[in-house]
Amino acid sequence: MNPNLVYRVSGSIAVILLLAIPLASSEMGGLGPLVLSSYFMHLAITGFFYAILASSWSLLAGYAGQFSFGHMAFMAIGGYATGLIGKFIRFTTAPSELCTDIPLPGSWWLVILNIRRVGTIDESCLDMAKTQTLPAGTLIVFPPVWASIAMGLVFGAIFGLLVGWLVLRLRSTYLALFTIGFSEILRAAISAEIPVTEGQSGLELVPLFPAGLLGFSSTSKIPPYYAMLLLFILAMALMSWLASSRFGLFIRAIREDEEAAAALGVNIVRFKVLVFVITSTIAAAAGALQAHYIGIITPNTLIILQMSLVIAMAVIGGLENIYAASVGAIVITFVLELLRTSVSIGPIEIDMTLWRLVFFGILLMLTLRFQRNGLLFPILERISRGGVAKETVSIRTETDEEFADLEDPDTDGPDAESSREQPERTADTENAET
Amino acid sequence: MLKLSANGIYKNFGGLQVLNNVTFTVEGPELIGLIGPNGAGKTTLTNILDGALKPSSGTVYMNGERIDTRPPYGVARAGLGRTFQVTRAFRRMTVLENLLIPAMAMNTTARQRDFEEKAQEVLEFLTISHLRNEYARALSGGQQKLLELGRLLMLDPSMIILDEPFAGVHPRLMEVIYRYITETNAQGKAFIIISHDMDTIFTLSRRLLVLNYGDLIADGEPEVVREDPLVKAAYLGEEEE
Repeated sequence: MNPNLVYRVSGSIAVILLLAIPLASSEMGGLGPLVLSSYFMHLAITGFFYAILASSWSLLAGYAGQFSFGHMAFMAIGGYATGLIGKFIRFTTAPSELCTDIPLPGSWWLVILNIRRVGTIDESCLDMAKTQTLPAGTLIVFPPVWASIAMGLVFGAIFGLLVGWLVLRLRSTYLALFTIGFSEILRAAISAEIPVTEGQSGLELVPLFPAGLLGFSSTSKIPPYYAMLLLFILAMALMSWLASSRFGLFIRAIREDEEAAAALGVNIVRFKVLVFVITSTIAAAAGALQAHYIGIITPNTLIILQMSLVIAMAVIGGLENIYAASVGAIVITFVLELLRTSVSIGPIEIDMTLWRLVFFGILLMLTLRFQRNGLLFPILERISRGGVAKETVSIRTETDEEFADLEDPDTDGPDAESSREQPERTADTENAET
Repeated sequence: MLKLSANGIYKNFGGLQVLNNVTFTVEGPELIGLIGPNGAGKTTLTNILDGALKPSSGTVYMNGERIDTRPPYGVARAGLGRTFQVTRAFRRMTVLENLLIPAMAMNTTARQRDFEEKAQEVLEFLTISHLRNEYARALSGGQQKLLELGRLLMLDPSMIILDEPFAGVHPRLMEVIYRYITETNAQGKAFIIISHDMDTIFTLSRRLLVLNYGDLIADGEPEVVREDPLVKAAYLGEEEE
């Protein structure tokens, strides 16, 4: 079966189903007996968020072999970048005189706010300017949410480029340690810079759709659902195209053997940096969108547990396949929530809010021990490569028949007499080392 | 016409002098054997020619361009391809994908399907066309050697360095490798072959370079080199007595 066809058909069906899900939501009145709660919609949005992270990490680690533990840091960079732009940037029709004013075309000003502590209250320069320097009737406009999110992507890409360049020569353990260090430094810096980031209290962000959308209120789950789904589809389309292009071919070659890839003409520096930039940007996009959806971002998003969750989702789904990793992430998001319900066995009540993570950890360990390619990837492999063994045997049989009659008088190699033996190896070796 | 010149190559790792003023030139489609005892510096010299190692001093020019300052991918694009002593197939990629990588790397605007026909021809030449969609990890050691040779045909360099191409290979596959070398050489590609298989290397090569503890102690026709007292003492020794 043509693997591209399998992926296209199953992907199209999945997209149609995902697009139709909100029709069954309680906000839309449900579909007959099927009424999906607001909570379900929230889980779906969270599932897409983790699916973007797990699949992009799969591209980085599973395809390119770059085992970075800093993926959640790039997610947080996206979230904090958009949040800080919302906190510190304004557009006005007159200079504030008290803040940093940058003139823009069309008599607009970009104002960068300085926060000053007056007594126990943080007061922005713009608040003071309103009463002191700004003329009456001056328009003050927040930056559009989508522009802030776009800037989150830019920051994700810049940091991805820097980290990608710094870790170029690091492999395996050293790369992992470096990226854990990067993530922890970022978390500590965010926690420490309370005047800028609000520290552990978290940075508040405006809702994704502050004025609602198409009749849906700003607190509705339906517009954020479609926004996150759109990002998920775009990210998957981009990564899918990359994975099947020369980019995918080269990064997998780099994963297998950097030196051999370089000896065959692959510019490994370029592709290693590129995969870092691309996956960091995707993670930053997910972080920016999620931060606006939730309305707050805290340094806790960078703790190692969160990164472990993303890794576990990708590993359980299938590290070397972006589709398997994304499906794994969505399924695990729902399963982890379903497992929250406490269980009573006789007089003993098991608090599943804690125990579910234990079960999850056991599942991860069993997967790593017995199914290193994840639970879903082997199924996809079976579908897409089911005919390979049969094809190998049939072509070999034809070739062997040709070999039997092969007489080449020009060939003057060593052991020519013994060369009439049949190839010693059977071809039915698919997944021999899986 | 191809011209590669290694000029006064020195290489030391700390206090260990691995190459000591190695100088030689390859002109046109020569078929050169590079021999020497273990630790003579053969693989180090290969790594320097390939760009994987930088010489401590000395230069390497290929067709007038200096290549010892280039990274390995730059050397490959300049027209020098190599295999490794231990086979380095991309094991979790299919045989076809293994072949497409060098072709795609050399042609930045081409698509994969542009090279599938050529890949098929290469696989048929190497007698492993039935394995095209198998993962490389499923191939035997000898078949993986053939796959490495196939990748070089897809890279299409003007000079090929083979590091121990006959080591641990079944006689049937050895014949295929032998044919690969002679036919590819006849098409105008130069070869440097490192091997400990003396019978084959003396039969196959038209020129021999002999390294001994970093010194190039002989450079000439196999019959002449075979009788060289320095070579006899250093390498062939008692076997030839």
